[in-house]
Amino acid sequence: MRSSIVAAVSGAALSLALLAPATFAQQGQQLAITIYNDNLALVQDKRDIEIASGRQRLEFPGVSGEIRPETVSLSATGLTIVEQNFDFDLLTPAKLMEKAVGTTITIIRVNPATGAEVRERAEVLATNNGVVLKIGNRIEVLRDDGLPVRVIFDKVPENLRSKPTLSVTVNGDRRGNRPVTLNYLTGGLGWSADYVALFDDTTSKLDVQGWVTLTNSSGTTYDNADTTLVAGSPLQADQYRQQQYRPQPPRPQMPQAGTETGDRERLGDFYLYPLPERTTIANMQTKQVSFLDVHGVPAEHGYEFRNYWLGTLEDPQSAKTVYRFNTGSAEGLGDQLPAGILRFYIRDKQGDPQFIGESRIDHTPMGSTLSLATGDAFDVKVKPVVEKRERAGVRRWRTSMKYTVTNATPREVKVTLQQDGLWGDTRIESESLASTRPNADMAEWVVTVPANGSTEVTAVFDSAY
Amino acid sequence: MRSFRPNRYTLAGLAMLGAPLTAEAQSVTAGPAFDVSVTVYRDPNRNEGGFDLDYLGGFALITETRRVVLQPGEQTLRFEGVADGIEPVSAIVTGLASGVIEKNRDAKLLSPSALVEAAAGQEGRVDLMRTDPKTGVTTRTTATIRAGENGVVLETSEGIEALRCSGLSETVSFEESASGLSSTPTLSIRTRVTEPVEAVIQLSYLARGFDWSADYVADRIPNTGNLNLGAWITLANGNGVSFENARVQIVAGKLNRESGQVEPIDIGGPIFAQCWPRGSTSDYEPGYFFAKGGDDFDRVVVTGMRMEAMAMAPPPPAPAAMASEVIQEELGDLKLYRVPDRVSVLSRQAKQVRMFDRADVPVTRLFEVNFTSNYNTNFTAAPLILRTTNDKENNLGLPLPQGRVQMFELVGEGAEQRRLLAGQTTLRDLALDEETEFEFNGGPDIQARQIVETRSLSPERSLPLAPVLRAVPGVNAGSRVLQEINRIEISNARPYPVDVDVRLYMQGDAQMLRADAPYGQKDGRPIFQLTVPANDTLVVRYQTVRQTR
Repeated sequence: MRSSIVAAVSGAALSLALLAPATFAQQGQQLAITIYNDNLALVQDKRDIEIASGRQRLEFPGVSGEIRPETVSLSATGLTIVEQNFDFDLLTPAKLMEKAVGTTITIIRVNPATGAEVRERAEVLATNNGVVLKIGNRIEVLRDDGLPVRVIFDKVPENLRSKPTLSVTVNGDRRGNRPVTLNYLTGGLGWSADYVALFDDTTSKLDVQGWVTLTNSSGTTYDNADTTLVAGSPLQADQYRQQQYRPQPPRPQMPQAGTETGDRERLGDFYLYPLPERTTIANMQTKQVSFLDVHGVPAEHGYEFRNYWLGTLEDPQSAKTVYRFNTGSAEGLGDQLPAGILRFYIRDKQGDPQFIGESRIDHTPMGSTLSLATGDAFDVKVKPVVEKRERAGVRRWRTSMKYTVTNATPREVKVTLQQDGLWGDTRIESESLASTRPNADMAEWVVTVPANGSTEVTAVFDSAY
Repeated sequence: MRSFRPNRYTLAGLAMLGAPLTAEAQSVTAGPAFDVSVTVYRDPNRNEGGFDLDYLGGFALITETRRVVLQPGEQTLRFEGVADGIEPVSAIVTGLASGVIEKNRDAKLLSPSALVEAAAGQEGRVDLMRTDPKTGVTTRTTATIRAGENGVVLETSEGIEALRCSGLSETVSFEESASGLSSTPTLSIRTRVTEPVEAVIQLSYLARGFDWSADYVADRIPNTGNLNLGAWITLANGNGVSFENARVQIVAGKLNRESGQVEPIDIGGPIFAQCWPRGSTSDYEPGYFFAKGGDDFDRVVVTGMRMEAMAMAPPPPAPAAMASEVIQEELGDLKLYRVPDRVSVLSRQAKQVRMFDRADVPVTRLFEVNFTSNYNTNFTAAPLILRTTNDKENNLGLPLPQGRVQMFELVGEGAEQRRLLAGQTTLRDLALDEETEFEFNGGPDIQARQIVETRSLSPERSLPLAPVLRAVPGVNAGSRVLQEINRIEISNARPYPVDVDVRLYMQGDAQMLRADAPYGQKDGRPIFQLTVPANDTLVVRYQTVRQTR
């Protein structure tokens, strides 16, 4: 960004005919950036600009490369906007030659044997698959003989930019320096949260650190910007989401939504996470700033297994390792959590934290219960078997299930075992352990499995399917 | 190590025109890692087989201990030489009392195109160097890069020119530290200290481009048929960074991984990409007169991140020599293997460490055949199964992570004796006390087929409602009973009796009515446990019943 200041100023000094009185001296540039989750940011760019009176063009190089030009608004006292332009015709050698058609350029032929230079003026006639030049009364193809020929253009033509450039034509009421504010939306900036959760096996306590992670791929560096993050997106709900037939939603990560109000600043219905200090967001940079650090949150470690209707497994399958905790202020994290990835760590025998899996969370209100799966338990497995399936009437079936839950750990474990797909009016005729029905389609047992042992659960279902 | 300074310092002379410069943090490079721990995780989506060294889908947790010296003030602390597969969002820095204001990872690396980009638009920041073809004398002209992304356009006092389109040897040279970029992936943190600090800090992060697999070697003991089972851990580092003298751990089990793509490292595209159209009046390319001209573009060749020549992982070496074994520990619901001594995990290296050796594991040797009831099949060779239980009684009783198994047998006598590969299979993750089956290709000697001998349909029952019920779609009133007799033939070309398990999938709602051999039930399916005499064929018949229209 700074480069362009220099370019502009000295460009003017060299009177390089960079076209119109493009004024873009800037002083005390102040950037404020608000970043939303869905690859969207609002940039407020305040600069002091020297403005002449009358009609003139202001150029703003160094705006985001992914600016949405239709969202640009410029405000300053005593300025009337005539038009706004976003020029994205980029300067390349080929474009330079193409735009030179009909104009005169200088060519310098270099004698390869002597090094002697012959300078001529030439008119560019065409650039279609080769450059055709008119030199005096002759027509020539540029470098047709392969000998070195330098081509010198007098100027960079209008509208060819090294970077996409925003320009605004304004009418100034008087001459003078004044602050100008440019607002626009841009893509290429986004953020999400990353959490580090260290679980203590012996005390069942969780230490959680939260980091906001900014990414910038907009092609521009934002120097010293006042940055605010908005947890959520004001964009209309995802239009591309397809209606999928899901008889049972995926395992609930948030069994209970919280009802506590946080003390963070809000924007409408969204929480704001302002960064404590101004920061420079460089292009192609990933930046992280801490926003949460809590210790000793009680957490529960459990196991979950869900079987599909008529599911038989000849090889036992691992149950999911699940950690449950609360985000409330009393016995929890005490904050609303922006969407992101929670990475779980646990200390090994030598006390070094080791990674044990991760889970993505959605924006979570304070006071919620979270139940996050980190992976498969090596030692806790379930083997469901359809033991028998027989007709129990004209349109009824009787299905006998056996679930063998094994535990190869040296301590007792509790496994939440779920039988899914109980559609229609499926009833449980008999079962070896009392089940609950979290919903009509599912039966759930909490199975206690002794250390290095196994527990069998049997159930007979009476169903229409 | 030298530190790169942002280029706004070099711009200081021009700064009077621009905005006031912000108080810039001092840049300090952390010392090299003097203690490294590498924990390798397998690709959660890979099956039991080996991994492809050209595409390592696993990852590692890397913890580096480094020394830093910080002066008072705001500091940018840079960690150079982190793994190129780093997932920057996972980085954790501990041990810094002053805390971390922010963590940064710049994906942009020093490259020719990055230099051009950094210099673009900056007045007089590059020198255009042109070499006289006759004398070899190089002239330098101060120039400004006007555009660089798709071909470099320069401005000199003579006018506007495109770089390397003239056929002369020309190039640009850049100011030192023109881009402020570093050559290796670099993570940095911003911190603020009040007094000089000398600290030992730990940086840990997840990095892609690692993987490991368990490679089992089973040797059949000639007389008993029991197995000597050993296993190697093969781990590989596909990163461009080596970890010398590291503590190495391996984690078995399947973890949830959420992160999709890691932001790729920007190594920069090729520069000097295009000139103006170069069509000529002739079909022949004009010959180069002296030096190579501007029309063959200098392309920056980016060497691949992985070696191309490396093939699949090498087969596990024979377990002849003694190797020190890894130590197995529990890690939550996962298994951790600790390599007892420090080892170096070098860049683009696959390395093997011994997981365990267990002698004389008794196995039950049998063949297993699966049939769906009431279907005719041709003779098919039966797979061989070596079955045991993963417990102390069977000289096992340890977690067996999923992996490949190679079985060897001794063939021949005395000096002629050779150890040959007899079979290859895979194992899934096996916990303690689990039934453990090695399934091998059993060879052609044991063949089995099923023939449906007879079908008989009972006459329609004269239920008064039956025709009505049958008219209702989806209702199978089952007024007629279909009985089928299946014949299973198992032939044994071996000179000794073999055990064969025949397991049935029951078609539809078919139920087993009777059989001329005892049968049981396993995993909800009927099973015959048979012994086929030497050089003979065994025949078993069974009858099923199902209801039909």
